Order: sequence, then structure tokens, then C-alpha cells
Amino acid sequence: MKELRFRFILIIAFIAISVYLLYPTYKDYENSKQIANSLKAERSLLKKNNPGISADKLDNMLQAMSDSIKLSNPSIREYRLKRIKLGLDLQGGMRVVLEVNTLKLLEKLANNPDDVFRNVVASAGKEAAMSNESVVDIVGRKFQEKGIRLSRYYGTIRQDDAEILKNLKKQTEEAVTRAQEIIRNRVDQYGVSEPSIQLQGERRIIVELPGVAKEEEARQLLQGTALLEFKLLKEPQFTINVMEQIDKVLSGKSLDSTAVDSTKSIAKAGKDSTAEKKDTTKNKKLSPEEFAKEHPFFTLAMINPQSQSADAYVKGDKKEALLRMLARPEVQSILDASNAEFVFSAKPVTHQDGQGVFVLYLVNKTAELTGSVVTNATSNIDPSTSAPVVNMEMNSEGATEWARITGANVNKRCAIVLDNVVYSAPVIRNKIPGGRSQIEGSADLQEAKLLEIVLKAGALPAPVDIIEERTVGPSLGQDSINQGFNSALYGYLLVCIFMIFYYRKAGTVSAVALSLVILFIVSVLAYFKATLTLPGIAGIVLTIGMAVDANVLIFERIREELATGKTMKASIESGFAKALSAIVDSNITTFFTGIILYQFGTGPVQGFALTLMIGIGTSLLGALVITRVLLDFMLFKGYKITLG
Amino acid sequence: MQLFHNLSIDFMGKRKFFYVLSSTLFIVGMLNIVFRGLQFGIDFKGGTEIVVKFEDPIKVADLRENLKSTGLGEVEIKTFGDNTGALVRTELQALPESIFPKVQKKIEEDIVSSFPALNGAFHSAKTNNSITYTFANPDTASAVANKLFLDGFQSGKANEEVTNTQVVVQVGISDWIKENLKDKVKGNYFQILREERVGPKVGNELKQDTIIAIALSLIVILIYLAFRYKFIFAFGAVLALFHDVLITLGLYAILYNVIPGINLEINLTVVAAFLTLIGYSINDTVIVFDRVRETLKVHKTEKLGTLINLAINKTLSRTVLTGGTTLMSIFVLLLLGGEVLRAFAFTMFFGIIIGTYSSVFVASAIVLDYANKYHKTVEF
Repeated sequence: MKELRFRFILIIAFIAISVYLLYPTYKDYENSKQIANSLKAERSLLKKNNPGISADKLDNMLQAMSDSIKLSNPSIREYRLKRIKLGLDLQGGMRVVLEVNTLKLLEKLANNPDDVFRNVVASAGKEAAMSNESVVDIVGRKFQEKGIRLSRYYGTIRQDDAEILKNLKKQTEEAVTRAQEIIRNRVDQYGVSEPSIQLQGERRIIVELPGVAKEEEARQLLQGTALLEFKLLKEPQFTINVMEQIDKVLSGKSLDSTAVDSTKSIAKAGKDSTAEKKDTTKNKKLSPEEFAKEHPFFTLAMINPQSQSADAYVKGDKKEALLRMLARPEVQSILDASNAEFVFSAKPVTHQDGQGVFVLYLVNKTAELTGSVVTNATSNIDPSTSAPVVNMEMNSEGATEWARITGANVNKRCAIVLDNVVYSAPVIRNKIPGGRSQIEGSADLQEAKLLEIVLKAGALPAPVDIIEERTVGPSLGQDSINQGFNSALYGYLLVCIFMIFYYRKAGTVSAVALSLVILFIVSVLAYFKATLTLPGIAGIVLTIGMAVDANVLIFERIREELATGKTMKASIESGFAKALSAIVDSNITTFFTGIILYQFGTGPVQGFALTLMIGIGTSLLGALVITRVLLDFMLFKGYKITLG
Repeated sequence: MQLFHNLSIDFMGKRKFFYVLSSTLFIVGMLNIVFRGLQFGIDFKGGTEIVVKFEDPIKVADLRENLKSTGLGEVEIKTFGDNTGALVRTELQALPESIFPKVQKKIEEDIVSSFPALNGAFHSAKTNNSITYTFANPDTASAVANKLFLDGFQSGKANEEVTNTQVVVQVGISDWIKENLKDKVKGNYFQILREERVGPKVGNELKQDTIIAIALSLIVILIYLAFRYKFIFAFGAVLALFHDVLITLGLYAILYNVIPGINLEINLTVVAAFLTLIGYSINDTVIVFDRVRETLKVHKTEKLGTLINLAINKTLSRTVLTGGTTLMSIFVLLLLGGEVLRAFAFTMFFGIIIGTYSSVFVASAIVLDYANKYHKTVEF
């Protein structure tokens, strides 16, 4: 009995953990239902108020609303993070496979490309299109076939082919990392929720954008070349001046959309407003509402009065409102007059109230230099200070220019801007003559590494090709969810009815075990943060059918044992024992195919392989442990067990 | 209730008959594969595919007629799900050169008809999947971008700078198909359900991967079974797997375009179904073998054929029951799982029937014949 009690507790613990793991999924489902309902009401309201609105525009507005609801409520966000993730085939979205065009990169890297070079590259391109061999190897081989040394185009005369090939390979690898970072940066800017960006193989990047069905936008997002610029920061006093002008212009005329935004942010601004003011002295007595009205700009962009710099801090959810403010013509004219523009930091600098806080810089509109002059960048630990630093090198042209710029702007700050966001804004300590600069101030080596990638992004843009593109619309996804759910439900009911009909009480026990098996499969998925795809649901349905296999094997064995005249207790005992080897052997072989499928498959098929494997594991648990415990319990209590 | 109580059927005695049956199925399947061919989906062939859903029912034949003049050459059109859905597919990756001017003309007509003043006041630059128009000032550019977008073109400003004067219009192949559908099927609006574009290289790689995956799983099974049982058992089991996979594949060739509503194309999910089928079928076979091994240990002097018969008879009710419950759930999937999973469910459904058949009639028979031929005594 003691043994039995222990097992019972174990099973109950498993159930409790499963329920705990699935609770966020349930809550998330409830939340989305609620949001959908409120959006429906909003939609009809919007339609009534703006009869001429296009469906597309309406969708965009509603999407923005639902995003802001999801973002603003921390509990909704938390449940969403912990729920079972749905694959793109179920929730709709885009999957794009990009391949870095190594060939173009090689062309760009070549020192003195001539016709011979171009011919070789063109023929290598044809071969590479249908081969798995690395492009660098193909090009290397083609040159060798022609008896041309690679040093004619790459590296230095002293290097042999193997060494050059090794270098070229390293450079192409770096190009892939760079492309990945650029794409990650853009996707982050674009504001897709839960994007996934992964490397596949040597030069492929898989980007998954849930909920995005606007291809042309996404394409531009992924394929445009990156623009790296060095821009001088405006002097703090100048910046404050500009900000005050903007603030004044906005408060004088804050009527339309901006007014709505700023009133919404009252509550938060109220807390900060007392501390943040520098020159606007009167406002100490103002209530938060009045402050927001008087100073719409400073309500969103907060300045630290103690700081030497004029960097403003903006909370993540206020970025968009601020950008809208800045886009207004009267603000633009102020900025144009002073040849300045605002740019955000790429990553939040700190966190407050569960959101990132971004820095807003005012920089010269015209860039001092573009990244094309950067020839190399390396991140390192400075041996003397043991702080992370990034060393940057420029070509001779850039170096001359850089010397002039740094010489004229000592002690000013220079922002490193990639695709319009600032990655770093170091202070120029002194004139840099040779183009070799050292950038300090990275928090850790990882950050320094990122800066290195950013600096190289401008140095050599890596062209990327889209080689695969799949979009699933949201309605197909919802249909698939419903169909999958129905199949699982009816499949389960059918199998249970059959088992109960055929094996009577023992069958009922296996039906109970089967429900627990399904519960466990789903919660294991939730635990591993695995993605549920439509083939994944098919895997669950299949498991429902196959899960009773072990039970059937055991029950048939028990029947055989009973037929030899054994007691029920003894039959159960030996039935389980004798069926074990068959159950284990047969499931291991199926498990093997699951592993292979997982290795070879992509996206949805991997989801299937995963549920299949989890299904095998949990159904073994169901048959060997849960069914056994229930049967033993029935024996212990003296219930009559029937096997049909 | 109890099916198959105390059976003693002489399965091995009738094995010649089942050899003939299996060979017939196999040959018919192979002939169909050779002469009718297997249809591969976009995953393997590469190309562009769009699935649309119309508001009102639509005839595929009409669509076919309508899309003839697109200049895209052979465009495949099928129903998708019910009669409002359609799948349009072409093997092309990018818009052919020949129709690029046609597309460009259409865009420019649209611009001029909305903004007559702009006639000739812009210039254009082409890449292989987009056209960039440059206008005199930023306001015109954004007005044109909006107008074109509302008219269904995939247009947008070149960048979000205030000074931007360029409009980029994407003219990928799918955009062109959508544009044509919009034009030709008037008054019946549609929604894009799914859109896919797969490069030719990806398709080739997938074919390779698939062959590797299937070969690898067969090898792994061969090794595992040779290790757990005897080599001849592993050999019999793997041969039976070949039998299952090839006959099911043959069925694909036989039934392609025969059953309405099931699109029997080989795509990734179908490959997954084949691998699962291998997993299921081996599962079935192993259970029979396990019983053979057990009876062999008990009755050491008995003939192998008799023992195999005994084992099959003993496990028959399990084989049929598990096959039955699995078929039940797969059948539900076939009925309710929707268009996307239908081919998967179909493969599993027939695969399980053939897999079950082979573990009873084929796998053990091969073991027996192999042992007889080489006069091997099998013992554990």
C-alpha cells in the first residue's frame, strides 16, 4: 500500500504541474478572446465614425490597438510569454529564408577584378546554384583549374591559396553574422511581436514574423542594404534650446493626435515631472495634467537636470507618440533650421516599470562619414584597463577625413548610427590621425562585439537573397486550429468509447490514462516552450490512436495469463512483465524515426516530430505507470476488474 | 468481448499467396509511378503558389480561362477546400522578361489615370522584381504610393525620409497573379490564405534530405533490430518496410487526381507521414518478432514455421486492435483535419493498413524463407 500511495502522489504531482504549466495558455486564450471582443466593438465604432475608411487602414489601426493593449498590461504579456507558442501555420505570419550572396561578396572583396576573374565567378555562380559545396571552395577550385593563384585577387602576394581561402571563408561567415544582426535590428525597430531569427547552415537566415502578412514591407525590411553613418551630436546647450522650442510649438498647438497621446501619459509623467525640469521653472506648481498640456515634449522625453549631457530618456511605449510629434511640419521646420535630427538608441539603456528606456539624441542631419570607409573592426579587452574596447580601422581616404573631423571636434560626441538608430555615442578624446580609433564605453564584451558587427555592417554590405518565402493568412490559421482541435477531440472520444466497450473496466482505466497522456503531452510542449504546429496537432491525434497500443498489449497478455488459470493479481503482475520487452522495443524504433524526422524537417514538420516523440514518452508513462497504479488500486480495494 | 480467441491459422503455409499479392500491388504501383509519375508539391519543385478564398463560389475552369492571358505560361489551378477556394501555382520564380513591360504599362496607366498632370513627368528604373519611380517632389511621391497601394499594387515609398521622391512597386510573380485575379474576377472579392515561394535550390536540397532521412531511418532500424534480435529479423523487417513505403507510394501515383478533394502531391508533410509510417509499421513488426523470440526460447525443438504461426496468432488480436484504434483517429483526421492535413492523413490511413498487413504476412515470411534457404537455425 505504501508503494501505491507513493505512486499516487507522484501522479497527482504530475497532474498538478501540468495544470500549472497550462494555466498561462488558458489565461492567454481568455485574454485574446476579451481583446478580440473589445476590438470588434471598436471596429464598428470606427466604421460608423469614418464611413470612408479603407479596410486596410482599419485593420492597421485595430492591429495597433491590440498591440498596445497587449503591451501595456504586464499580466497579459506575462501569460503570453508562457503560453504554448503557436506555429506560423496556426497563427498566421511570414517565414522567409534568406541566403547571403557569397558570390557578390567575393566580387566585392576582390582587389583587381578583371575579365578572367568575372568569367570564373560567373561559372562558379552557375555551379553553386545547384550544389551544396561552399561557394568559396568552388571559386577556389575554379582558379586552381585555370592555374591562377588566388593571391592575384585576394590577400597579399606572400599568402598561399589555402590561407587565402581560409580568410575568405572567415569573411563570408562574418558577413552572415552581420546580416543577421542587421535584420534583427530592423525587425526590432519594426515592432513585430515574438519574431524569430535563426541561422541555418552556413549562410542562411530564417526569419519568422508572426502576424505579419505584408510582404512588400517585410521584403524591404529584410533586403535593403544597411546604412552606417557617423554623426556629430549637437552641443548640450543647443539641444536643450531646440527641445524647448519644440516643446513650445507643440504646447501652443497641441490639438490633434498628440494631445490624446500626451493626456494618456499623464499618470506616469506626473511622477517624473517634478524631478526632470531644468529651465522650465514655473511648472513646479503645475499638476501632471497641466504639465502634460504645457510641455508635451518633455512629458515624453525626460531630461536629467544633473547630467552634463542633453540626452533625453524615452520609455519604450512612448517612442511612437514621440515620433509622431517629431514628424509634424512645425517641428520639422525647427529641426531643419538647425540642421539637426533626433535619433533613438538601438537598445534600451535601463528598464523602468517593466519597460525599456531609450535614449534620444539630437545629431547633425548630415553625416560626417559613412561606414563605407571602415575597413575593419575588432572587439577586445584592453589589457591595461581590462575594459571592453572596439578598435576600428579606416581606409586612407576615410582616415584623412576622420583626422580632420576628430581634430575639429575634440571633447564632442560622435554617434555611430546604423539604419537610423544609435549604437554608441562616444566622446572624441583627441585628434585621430591614422584612422585607427579605439571606442570605449561598452558595458561588456558582448556589447563590444555587437558594436564591432555594426561597424563592419557599413564596411561591406552583405547582399542577401530571399530563397524561400511562405505566408499564411490569419483566417487559414484559425481554421486550422479549429479543425485540429476537433480532430483531436473526436479521435479521443472514439478511441475511448472503443476501449471501454472492448475491455470494460480495464478499458475505462486506459481511457483515464489516455486523458492524462494528452494533458501531459500538451504541458510538456508548454514546458519546453516548443511550438505547436498543425502537423504537431496531427501528431497528437496520431498519438491518441497509438497510445493505447501499450495498454492493448498488456491487456491481451493479462487475458492470456488469466486463461492459464492464474488469479487476477498474478495475471496483472505477469501480464505487465511479459509485455514490457515488446513495448520498449517497438517504441524505441518509432522514437528513432521521430529523431530523424526532427533533424531533417523544418518548421511544421519538426513540430510533428516533437509531438510524436513526446507522445511516445508520455504514452509509455500512461500505460506502464498510470494504468498499473489504477489497476493495483482496484485490486487493493477489492473491486472486480473486468477485461471484457 | 474478445476477437480472435484461440486462433490457429497457418499464416506461413499460405505465404506464397501473399507473396504474389504483395508483388502484384508492388508492380501495379511501380508501373503507375513510371507511367503516370509522382506529383511533387511546391516544397520539392520550387515555384510560386497562392491560395485564395473568394467570397462567392468560383469555378476553377473559369479561373483557368481567365488566367490564360497573363503571359505566365503554364499556370496550375486547383480547388482548395470547398468551392470558394483556389490554389494557383506556377513553377516560375520571377516575372518573365516578356511580360515585364505589360506590368509596367499597367502601373503607369494607373498613375496617369489618377493623376493626369503627371503624364510623362516621372522616370522609372527596373530591377528583376520591382520598379522604382522618381517624381518631382515628395508629396506627389507619397500620393502616388498611396493611390497605387489602394488600387492593389504592392507599392510603397522608397524610404521614410521626408525628402523621399521615389515610389517602389513590387512586381513579383504573386503580385502579378493577384493583380490579374482582381481584374478578371470582378465583384467577387478574395482573401489570400497562403502564399509560398520556394527557390529551385531549396527544392533540390529537400529531395536530397528526404532520401537521406528515409535511408537513415531504415539503417538505424536495421542496426537496432540486428542488435536486439538477429540479423535475419532485421533484414525481414526492413524489407517489409520497403514494401510498405513503395506500395503506398505507388498508391499515390494510382490515385492522383482520381479521388476528388484529396490533393495527392508529395510535399513535406507527406514525407513526414511516410517516416511516421515507417515508425508505425516497424512497431507492429517488432511486436510479432518479440513474440517469436519468446516462443523460440520456450519451444527450442519446434520448427520455425510453426513457432512463427503461433506468435502471429497470439499477437493477432493486438495487431488488429491497435491498427483499429490508430485507424480510427487517423480517419477522424482525414474527415475533419482540413485541406492541409488531408494528404498526410491519407498516407497514414493506407500506410497503416499496408503496414499491418506486412507485419503479419510479409516480414515473418521473409525471415522463414531466409532461414530455410540458408539452412540457418534461429535461436536466442
